[in-house]
Amino acid sequence: MQWRLVKAEADAPMASADEVYQEQVAKGFLTAKLDDLVAWGRAHSLWPFNFGLSCCYVEMATALTSRHDMSRFGAEVIRATPRQADLIVIAGTVFRKMAPVVQHLYDQLLEPKWVISMGSCANSGGMFDIYSVVQGVDKFLPVDVYVPGCPPRPEALMQGLTLLQEAVKARPRPYSWIVGEDGEVSKYQPSQRDARTPVRMRVTELEEPGNVGDAPLSKDLLRQKSPSPATPGRDGTGRRR
Amino acid sequence: MSEVLEPPLAHAATGESPNQVETLRQRLGGDIQLQETADGIPNLWVPRNRLLEVMRGLKDDYPLLFDLSAVDERVRNNRHGLPDADFTVFYHLISLARNSDLRIKVALPEGDSSLPSLTSVWPAANWYEREAYDMFGVNFEGHPNLYRILTPALWEGHPLRKEHPARATEMDPFRMSDELLDAQQESLRFKPEEWGMSRGAKHTDFMFLNLGPNHPSVHGVFRIALQLDGEVVVDAVPDIGYHHRGAEKMGERQSWHTYIPYTDRVDYLGGVMNNLPYVMAVEKMAGIEVPDRAKVIRIMMSEFFRIASHLLFFGTFAQDVGQMSPVFYMFADRERLFSIVEAITGGRMHPSWFRIGGVGQDLPEGWDTMVRDFVDYMPARVDHYDKMATKNGILKRRTIGVGQYNNAEAVEWGITGPGMRATGLDWDLRKQRPYGGYDQFDFEVPLAANGDCYDRCVVRVEEIRQSLRIIRQCLNNMPAGPYKAEHPQTTPPPKERTMQDIETLIQHFLNVSWGPVIPPSECSVMIEATKGWNSYYLTSDGGTMSYRTRIRTPSFAHLQMIPLISRGFMIADLIAIIASIDFVMADVDR
Repeated sequence: MQWRLVKAEADAPMASADEVYQEQVAKGFLTAKLDDLVAWGRAHSLWPFNFGLSCCYVEMATALTSRHDMSRFGAEVIRATPRQADLIVIAGTVFRKMAPVVQHLYDQLLEPKWVISMGSCANSGGMFDIYSVVQGVDKFLPVDVYVPGCPPRPEALMQGLTLLQEAVKARPRPYSWIVGEDGEVSKYQPSQRDARTPVRMRVTELEEPGNVGDAPLSKDLLRQKSPSPATPGRDGTGRRR
Repeated sequence: MSEVLEPPLAHAATGESPNQVETLRQRLGGDIQLQETADGIPNLWVPRNRLLEVMRGLKDDYPLLFDLSAVDERVRNNRHGLPDADFTVFYHLISLARNSDLRIKVALPEGDSSLPSLTSVWPAANWYEREAYDMFGVNFEGHPNLYRILTPALWEGHPLRKEHPARATEMDPFRMSDELLDAQQESLRFKPEEWGMSRGAKHTDFMFLNLGPNHPSVHGVFRIALQLDGEVVVDAVPDIGYHHRGAEKMGERQSWHTYIPYTDRVDYLGGVMNNLPYVMAVEKMAGIEVPDRAKVIRIMMSEFFRIASHLLFFGTFAQDVGQMSPVFYMFADRERLFSIVEAITGGRMHPSWFRIGGVGQDLPEGWDTMVRDFVDYMPARVDHYDKMATKNGILKRRTIGVGQYNNAEAVEWGITGPGMRATGLDWDLRKQRPYGGYDQFDFEVPLAANGDCYDRCVVRVEEIRQSLRIIRQCLNNMPAGPYKAEHPQTTPPPKERTMQDIETLIQHFLNVSWGPVIPPSECSVMIEATKGWNSYYLTSDGGTMSYRTRIRTPSFAHLQMIPLISRGFMIADLIAIIASIDFVMADVDR
């Protein structure tokens, strides 16, 4: 959209009819490929399914609550039923006893659907190479994004979500089941480690080792106390006691 | 080195004098053998044909069935003087009145591993016997429904038998075929007749509702089959095992040191508090005395995690009965707390930070500033939440009088922790059996009287305040000194000890590569964990790995009681009951 500021001067020349016409055209039309448009819409309206298996789910819930607030990325409409959701975060260990249930829930998700594998257990079995654990949810589900960690920090899950959104934008999926060649055409996926290591290693500020009391984390969290809702002398209605 | 390999002398830490044990043995009859273990608990070997009679006689004295499981003895080398057994079933009994413990053991031969069920004496034995059947194939005669409880119904073999593979990578890779999916789904179908339920009464047809294993209100992968008359719960059958991670089998293939991270993930809201009973049991077997600074650091970190766990309980409890906002406040405070945990340990939920003989590192500089900020800040918040959530009229009406049980029922069903103290039973292990230095602290044990959902919540809120009190005492009185014990078995050993000469270097190398060798012994340590009494009963065969790791978790017993306290209530009340129990499924299924 174009706009400009003009001074309120009576003798200034008015915009020509052609200019006004061009401006209105620019406002009212958008040219894009339908695929891109739909993919853009999908990327920013992922509806995650309220699903958790173990420890990772607690970090996923943390990502949804105030401090991290995943809704900033447009994926906060947690659905209680798979039939209203299109994203499942496999948050936790995939147990053999639970695997058929996970498969059943996945089958009920709306098409097109996406899977984030959260945490080492869901990625590969992790530290639980044990008889009762499936060694990675990708043994039976197609995974779009793997989030490493045991459990991953909420920030890691949010990064995984933004990665997924980029992927959804870049790799449109068929609108429905199609006859013939199915599936997406996947470009080479660059390793996140390779892509980000130069940035991550570019440390500009090093904290004094071994001193946590003055770390910015502590100051932000504890020193600057937000005005507590329980201000003395006031009750919930704001009246003086 | 030789003095280290001697098992430490057993001491009667649990209040039972040798005379009393002898009297008890005389009373029970001559064919009962006594075994002493490193934890000081007397073990009585009872012939299986006398088990029922002995247990009936003991129940009045020892009313709490704390634990019941088995040991596969077939490849154990160090069993000097013990009765011949291929499998041993053990029963851990507790007398609250005399504050003492007793362990009853029954030896079973391999071909004929069956013994009478105790369900007629202790109703709480039901799930424990099912678990022992599932894990070892021990047959309990007279059990009303001896089905598998942790593994899927179609599982082959008994995982804790020594011949069963431990690793998934030793078994055939998992493949999800349509046949498997159908068979598994079919095995999950609830058949009321198997549980002795009728499909209808005189004037009504019952509805059977399947709640879980994935349901927003069941706090994890937990399933309950409900028998409903309209919206009223007639009966309920909890179905667990969807979160079975084989933590006990894992103990048999990890070194004593490398098993610590697995304990964190048992009660995954309890963090390092899970490490505590495990490392204390290993220390007891190795004879390690932990320095004061390490003890106080451990207590401080454990209490931090008690607060974190109770905050999560509080938020989700309020949410389950209809309050949307408290959970957001409480998660924000959890983050404040985790910033301290992170600064001290480097981890958040699973720091795995306690070590055999101490803790992972010394406290960083500036830790006291962070902790002081937090203990200054938090009490006003707890008051605020108390006002916002627990004093709320709707929450009260939804929870007072719901899911009630008295203290006799609590003991009968093995309910421990806040759920026990909500009935008015003044039993906190930190007070009654102070462990790890808790006797040095000044705090109160919050109690309530009615044992309903509301009281369970109130007790936990007050426990947050008491934990803050303990943390403040840790802060003001943190002892100086080493954070690790001066002992060859301390893992990893203090670095200064290693670089002296070839002997100390080899000692360090072996300690790090193989891990410590723990002398042959048995030891159990129980602590007051976030959700109740958590105990690790370790058996060492003199190796670098545990021979048998038994983890007794509080939530397992608590879930078993759900049918008893939810009958006659509505489904919405059942949700409040489930929330008030405060469990995590990893603490149930392990």
